[in-house]
Amino acid sequence: MTRFVAARATVIAAAALIVALLPFALSDYNRSQGADVAVFYVVILGLNIVTGYTGQISIGHGAFMAIGGYATAILTHDHGWNDLATLPISALAGFGAGIVVGLPALRFRGTYLALATFAVALAVPQIAKNYSGFTGGTEGLALPIHSGLWLYGLGWAAAAIATVAAWLLLRARTGRAFRAVRDSEVAAASSGVSLPVYKTLAFGISAAFAAVAGSIYVLVNNFVNPDVFGLTLSLYVLIGAVVGGLGSLWGTIAGAAFVQLLPIGLTSSHALSSQSVPVIFGAVVIVVMALVPRGAADLLRVGAALAVRRSPTP
Amino acid sequence: MTALSLTRTLPSGFRLRTSWLVPLLLAGGCIFLIVGGLSSSLFAQQTVSGLANGGIYASLAVALVLIYRATEVINFAQGALATFTTYIAWQLGDWGLSYWPAFVATLGLAFVGGMLVELVVIRPVERRGSVLTIVIASIGLLIAVEGSVGWIWGSQVKFMPSAFPAHVYRVGGVAFSLQDLGTIFVSIAAVIVLALFFRFTKLGLAMRASAVRPEAARLVGVRVSWMLSLGWGLAATLGAVSGMMAAASPSVLLQPSMMDGVLIYAFAAAVLGGLESPAGAVVGGLAIGVLLNLLGTYVGWVTPALLLPVAFVVMLVVLLVKPSGLFGGTRVRRV
Amino acid sequence: MTRRLKVSVAVSVLAVAAVAAVVGVAVAAAAGSATPGLTKTSIKIGGTFPLTGPAQLYGVIPKAENAYFQYVNDHGGVNGRKIKFVYYDDGYNPAQTVPLTKKLVQQDKVFAVYGSLGTAPILATRDYLNKLKVPQVLVATGDSYWATQFKKYPWTTGFQPDYPGESKVYGQFIRNKVPQAKIGVLMQDDAYGQNYYNGLLAGLGDAKAKVVDVEKYDATQTDVSQQVVKLKASGANVFALFATPTQTITALAVATKIGWKPVTFINNVSASPLFMALAQKSGANVQNDITATYVYDTINNPDTATTKLYESILAKYDKGADPNDSLNIYGVASAWTFVNALKQAGPNPTRQGLIDALMSMKKVVNPFLYPGVKMSTSKTDHFLIEQQILEQYKGQAWKPFGHLFGNAR
Repeated sequence: MTRFVAARATVIAAAALIVALLPFALSDYNRSQGADVAVFYVVILGLNIVTGYTGQISIGHGAFMAIGGYATAILTHDHGWNDLATLPISALAGFGAGIVVGLPALRFRGTYLALATFAVALAVPQIAKNYSGFTGGTEGLALPIHSGLWLYGLGWAAAAIATVAAWLLLRARTGRAFRAVRDSEVAAASSGVSLPVYKTLAFGISAAFAAVAGSIYVLVNNFVNPDVFGLTLSLYVLIGAVVGGLGSLWGTIAGAAFVQLLPIGLTSSHALSSQSVPVIFGAVVIVVMALVPRGAADLLRVGAALAVRRSPTP
Repeated sequence: MTALSLTRTLPSGFRLRTSWLVPLLLAGGCIFLIVGGLSSSLFAQQTVSGLANGGIYASLAVALVLIYRATEVINFAQGALATFTTYIAWQLGDWGLSYWPAFVATLGLAFVGGMLVELVVIRPVERRGSVLTIVIASIGLLIAVEGSVGWIWGSQVKFMPSAFPAHVYRVGGVAFSLQDLGTIFVSIAAVIVLALFFRFTKLGLAMRASAVRPEAARLVGVRVSWMLSLGWGLAATLGAVSGMMAAASPSVLLQPSMMDGVLIYAFAAAVLGGLESPAGAVVGGLAIGVLLNLLGTYVGWVTPALLLPVAFVVMLVVLLVKPSGLFGGTRVRRV
Repeated sequence: MTRRLKVSVAVSVLAVAAVAAVVGVAVAAAAGSATPGLTKTSIKIGGTFPLTGPAQLYGVIPKAENAYFQYVNDHGGVNGRKIKFVYYDDGYNPAQTVPLTKKLVQQDKVFAVYGSLGTAPILATRDYLNKLKVPQVLVATGDSYWATQFKKYPWTTGFQPDYPGESKVYGQFIRNKVPQAKIGVLMQDDAYGQNYYNGLLAGLGDAKAKVVDVEKYDATQTDVSQQVVKLKASGANVFALFATPTQTITALAVATKIGWKPVTFINNVSASPLFMALAQKSGANVQNDITATYVYDTINNPDTATTKLYESILAKYDKGADPNDSLNIYGVASAWTFVNALKQAGPNPTRQGLIDALMSMKKVVNPFLYPGVKMSTSKTDHFLIEQQILEQYKGQAWKPFGHLFGNAR
């Protein structure tokens, strides 16, 4: 058991080191791609809390990203805030929005909940478009440009903080309550876990993660308009979460890399006709679901098990 | 289990008796529309064109309901599959086939195609996956199928002829075409045919049994997996009808993304009606079509951008009162 | 314990070594550069376009542009250089445009970003490109910004006449030629529609009150029948359509269906003969509808050298393209303008030289534009095309009438 923990710590340390040193080997363009992977990592981590830990399916996390993205954009563009200073506000705004969505969501379950969050994903960009006085409407708001290195650093620093926060949260009482809710609502309720409180709380925390991701997304693109947070974004976040594997740290990284790097890699590949790109991407998603229904995390788990079995006992 | 845990989450005294609510709501809505239509021709025209759009949403919504009843999955690819089959109809017409033979051939191809999709895409995913993995696969299917339409037929808008004569009738100040009536008629007819099929044929019964009690159905010799394929085939056929009706109406043009907007409203319609009820899907579709038009016409603060959010809020309010939709039963589901 | 420590140290060392090796390779690869995208025999340019998604109908433009570049390449290129045009699909989503544009500049090392489409995608990338002094030329959008904000964004230039300039012509025409006009406007509820509407009001001048109803629709909403029904009910007898192609076709069909017969103005973006044919098939009566254009009219001049050249280029290099789609002639005309500017920039073009060439055009005649339209720019006037002609739909084609509106702005 301790051997396993130590091996795990080693692997995490090594991974953190690679993430920290990687940007120095990357071009500026690839650094900003790396920052986008961090964005998806953070939002998928957040989605994991609500879907992986309390079992509520959300197709609406693009909407929470929009909340955070607009909070950052408006504060920096119109009120002269430092962009880093907007991140706590963004998290708070996301938390609030998550609670607002989470409360009525108590009444819905399963597919109805999924479709209700889907409606939120579609509605929020429209609302942003409507109040163009604040949001710049379709013409959007342009933000200061940062170097790829800065963005990469910001993205992965946020990812590290989010990871630690999620870990602290999920190993404590709250995490146990979340899991109890997922496994059996009746059992959870009868053992004193307040369903409304924890289900809503999960939505709020999850949305806060998404909002911070949205803020960084906007900073990476140095631009925001409603099209940035379209339905595709929400769908990609969900695809990333499931392709990676719910409830797994490595799976979350794999899922984030999958939804960020694969589409843009295909789109900007010179060998493919652009019309074929969605066909390939969609087909890959289906094949992954057929082969590894529990996501990339499953593959990693199998690989790790094999590695452990093969290593000689000390 | 569902009902039990739900009541626990609510403060006591909040449970409404909703059985009388739905008929009352529908009757009230109809009276409102009739009185409004008689007193203003603008109102009447907006209602009629809303119903015409609603017919399109309704027909796709029925296809969604079919899949949901069979597999408890919302099929994100339903609209894209409908678009694909509509392009097949266009292609057959372009090759010289006249409308009705092309129509029938398309329905046949859609049925086979739907079954193939279930066989090639859904079944391998379903074997080891959860509802969530099937949903993701259907999103992958949406992306791939819509992309393939653009790849095969190009991005330019094409013209899809209508099944019905183009003649426009005018009653009072209100204009409507046979196309409008036809779309509504077809979606209602589809529901009736389906209801008869499920109730009175052996195959329909077997399909229902496989959806509700797969193990029991298997025991009495029903080939459950084939029933699922059949469900997808039927849904794809209905989707093809929906796509061909939609593309022939002036408000939807034949292009790769044509069903994107329709799918969203079809989702709303299916949820509003109760995901398991074809009749609910039709009522939901028509209601949403009319609601959008009337909100946009008469409610000043509902700007074009807010139309969609406001329609969703209305949908959510209905769901808050009746979480299983207007026509949704309280059937206990396998968990 | 010590063993475990050893393992972790070993893993870390390995990781550092791997990273260091990659850094070394990357640094070595980055060395050496002249003008990006330029060699003795080639010049590389790039752009972003919606090739998939709801706006993919504009996706024909880069293909037509590339066809023209291929044609030029097969005839010796420009000063011995072949043009290599790299274009990516941004799906009209700025979150895609930004990384893809960065990729064009940093990885593909293009000489210039050319022809990228859409107002929001251009707004999202112009800060970046201007900061790096990369030309962002002949962008495919008719907003006025590209020409009016040249002091702040000297590296961004437009191509087509701007939207307000076009609708101003309609306004002037209505004021002078349509007695007792009661105007109903259908516009997209964003800057695109607002630009057109502002131009219309400017053209109407003191006759602004002739606008009796303005109906707006959201860009995500394809069905505009509700708005058209309201416009008819307002009693309008003039219909000004400031929409994108899909909604325009719907609006025209619905207007005919509900028995509304106004004098109809259709903005240039949506007035392609291809769309008009679709509207007619969908039941719309489009006879005598009015629009404005600035590109060459191949349909009414099927036997001229220009038409034959245009059709042969499409047939050879852009198979399957519909010559009647005016987006294709738009693309070829834009590509011609780029090639012309590149020639003017001399045998050893620089990025600054390209911008200078584009901004010092003296009545240049572009064969793919309407005869008589001349492209003129100067240090203070960045509007490339400012002349347009009104057309009326007769039978199966647009027929020009009247004279060129010079300097419509």
